[in-house]
Amino acid sequence: MLVMLFGSPTISAVEVITNNSADIASIKTTQLRRIYSMRQVKWANGVPITIFVLSSTTKIHQQFCKETLRLFPYQLDRIWNKLTFSGMGIAPTIVSSEQELIQAVKSTTGAIGYIENINEVSDVNRLEIDE
Amino acid sequence: MSIGLKLMNKVNYKLICLLVLLTFNVIAEDDHSAEPLKIHGFVAQGVIDVDGSNFVNDDGELSLKLTEIGLNTSYQLSDDFRFAAQAVYLNGGNRYNEGLRVDYFLVDWNAYSSEQLQVNFFVGRFKNAHWLHSSTRDIPFERPSIILPQGLYFDGFRDIAVGGDGAALKVAYSNDEYGEFDFNFSRGKSPIKSKDAEVMLSEFSQGNIKHELDTQASVYWRPGFSQWKFGLTLLDSEFNYKSATFDFFVDGRFRFQNYTINAVFEGEQWRFTSEILQTRFLTEGFYAQPFNQDSMGQGGYFQARYKADQQLTLIGRYEKFYTDKDDKRGNKLQEQSAGLVPSYFGYQDDAMIGFSYNFSDNFRVNAEYHWVKGTARLNPIVLPNPQANSEHWKMWAVQLMYWF
Repeated sequence: MLVMLFGSPTISAVEVITNNSADIASIKTTQLRRIYSMRQVKWANGVPITIFVLSSTTKIHQQFCKETLRLFPYQLDRIWNKLTFSGMGIAPTIVSSEQELIQAVKSTTGAIGYIENINEVSDVNRLEIDE
Repeated sequence: MSIGLKLMNKVNYKLICLLVLLTFNVIAEDDHSAEPLKIHGFVAQGVIDVDGSNFVNDDGELSLKLTEIGLNTSYQLSDDFRFAAQAVYLNGGNRYNEGLRVDYFLVDWNAYSSEQLQVNFFVGRFKNAHWLHSSTRDIPFERPSIILPQGLYFDGFRDIAVGGDGAALKVAYSNDEYGEFDFNFSRGKSPIKSKDAEVMLSEFSQGNIKHELDTQASVYWRPGFSQWKFGLTLLDSEFNYKSATFDFFVDGRFRFQNYTINAVFEGEQWRFTSEILQTRFLTEGFYAQPFNQDSMGQGGYFQARYKADQQLTLIGRYEKFYTDKDDKRGNKLQEQSAGLVPSYFGYQDDAMIGFSYNFSDNFRVNAEYHWVKGTARLNPIVLPNPQANSEHWKMWAVQLMYWF
């Protein structure tokens, strides 16, 4: 039923990238959900995770949420707003374009982001997503 | 100080707030790196009209007393320590005191962090993170509606329920098989101004009310990959009233014990929310010595939200609340007060419909209409005003909001 609701993650058009400092080759969907819902704030090697996202109204963000995370964009918006405006945490940094996101991930230690899988990108770590 | 000068100061003050927000917005928009400093804020202004009660004002006229402005900052001091603070200006008419407040001002210590477990301590002034909407009750774009269900989110108790000065603990545990578990615990007191006592108790109270104790705990569980989330919250809070030399009331003690359960379903278009409340309210003294009262109130609401598209969301909610489960229609209340307090002060039912429309990512309008029966959740709570309030009353509100 979840696959019907959210679509199959194996045909995702979105890829997850990290800064090379993250020292990780693959990631489980459950761990990705934990990271984006701010329930995991450091990588296993202790490096703090910095998340970069596009606006929640962009197609790629919606695709990433629904197909990769199996969450709806408004669910993440709620979590992030709640943390930001209650002082209990911080939300991801929103960037205005995919190019800016790639650049931010490249230059920020511990960063994570997503891109459309048609794009050729160098100097970032592309993560394989395990079910 | 002349009235003119006071007015000018108020206007200047609001202008300064707006300017600060706009200035910081520019900074926030440029913040595209992992900078340790984060700044966010919001501005909301609405219009509200209440017919048949003094919920917002005493004259029943259309009111602009629906203003909420906030500015917050977060600064990452090190990998494990963070400072965060927020100031808000609120004007809700009779609902709570108008003015500027330090909403939270805290140090967040990430005491333990692994892939599955997070343990954080918050010290200072923290927000109540226990109920579904308690930490964001003043955040217009994060509330489901302009006016929250008053049984649980009674505006008269806003300043004592919104948070406290003390310490809070948050434990977030995630398990691939069983889902996400959150445990929150807090202990702290709320500073109460004499104006708050007037709003909560009565304009005739001349003494001071002091928040002596507040202990809260909550547990939330979202099963693995589930669209459901369930919660349980507990609150124990105590207040002492010290009467003035010439006072309508005598020394007294109030104690609230709240228990709530809640459930949320989050679908792509539908979102259902329900919170059920049981609240024990003990009064010793205050009206006279000796005086003892122990009542158990109950309430709850069911809310359905439908996201029609990216811009438009429709919402409907029905809420029931009564102050004494053994006197659901308020007949005993009327008898005990020799007819001075009408029975409809013993309950409050509210049916609401509304919508919100997003003009952009951070600019929205909310609108809603309420049909209310009963007046149990109107200020002042201990000395009701039957003249200004009828059993059936209505209210509509429209609020524009911008955030960054």
